[in-house]
Amino acid sequence: MAGAERRRSAARGRRPRAAASGAPRRASGRRAARALVVIPALDEQESLPRILEETRRDAPDYDLLVIDDGSRDRTSQVARAHGVPVVRHPFNLGVGAALQTGFRWALEHGYSIAIQLDADGQHEPRFLDGLTEPLERGDCDVTIGSRYLSASGYRAPFFRRAGMMLFSLVVRMALKQRITDTTSGFRAYGRAVMEVCQHDFPKDFPDAPLLIALARRGFRLLEVPVQMRERQAGTSFYTLSKSLYYPYKNLLASLMAWIQRAR
Amino acid sequence: MEFLSRTQVIVAFAAVGLAFYVLDLVRRRRLSEEYSLLWVIATVTIAVLGFSTPLLRFITRVLGMLFESSTVFALGLAFATAMLLHLSIKTSRLSHENQVLARELALLRNALEGPPPPAASAPDGEAM
Repeated sequence: MAGAERRRSAARGRRPRAAASGAPRRASGRRAARALVVIPALDEQESLPRILEETRRDAPDYDLLVIDDGSRDRTSQVARAHGVPVVRHPFNLGVGAALQTGFRWALEHGYSIAIQLDADGQHEPRFLDGLTEPLERGDCDVTIGSRYLSASGYRAPFFRRAGMMLFSLVVRMALKQRITDTTSGFRAYGRAVMEVCQHDFPKDFPDAPLLIALARRGFRLLEVPVQMRERQAGTSFYTLSKSLYYPYKNLLASLMAWIQRAR
Repeated sequence: MEFLSRTQVIVAFAAVGLAFYVLDLVRRRRLSEEYSLLWVIATVTIAVLGFSTPLLRFITRVLGMLFESSTVFALGLAFATAMLLHLSIKTSRLSHENQVLARELALLRNALEGPPPPAASAPDGEAM
């Protein structure tokens, strides 16, 4: 009961602020559901201001939350200076854990949709509406922004493409559904998914294993076309040593997600 | 009392010594009872086999081993495997719990800090 009370008061506490911000509403009408953009960030003080400002400009209907996953730079301070709430992990826990924290925060503050947006500027906030609309209509439980659903002009390097095809195949076998972009981190999650995933989530790289785990729990996945940019600052997750280790680990995790019991 | 070799005597006494050491660790609360169980079983088994050659011979025959020493080694290996698996399971659980605690702490600190102050100057004129 106390939790529910707190959740309500927290939601009340936030509303006036959102109204006072004077953010222009979408011409198509007000949002049916409250949506939170969760930005996991690790040492992203350089790129964070740009993505925060861009999101405020291109998607003013969305509230923002930065999960600082144990950064050693000024990521938290930069986010707070932009008026964005920050949840700071005491040490690095990985993207999956950062999302889980985001889900928990979103649920406690009364949001019904959470969207994962990378801090490095790869994901463009102008596609947020495209991601959330199918969720609001109830067409699915998770939307995945795919680079390959339309001619987006994005062309990955050969080895990366080969890896993607492999995971696409694994996911397709496990899900009996074609997912064109299994490594896309640009996704929106509905409330039911958040409630499950706040406790139970693949640990390190939440992509193919996550999709399989979600489908195994009966959630409906839907891909929507998006475009992505090259990263603007910071370093990519995918360094050489990781690019060798990652496919092995991810493949194993995918197979495990296939047979694992829900926690 | 019959012994097959000097090694058997050494192993038998070492096992007794280790068993007492494990019990002492539990007594001084340096080792939890849960972990001590496997250790006590292993050391007592080796000690019993060390002092009772007929039993060691019997088990060796039943298991189809060629030498008595192989039986002792095989049991030791089985114990080491069981202990490592047990520790891996414990470590997995601890790291999961550690992660949950860290996230909980982060959320509590966020609640404690309260909402951020409104942005002083919004660069794109999107005032908060």
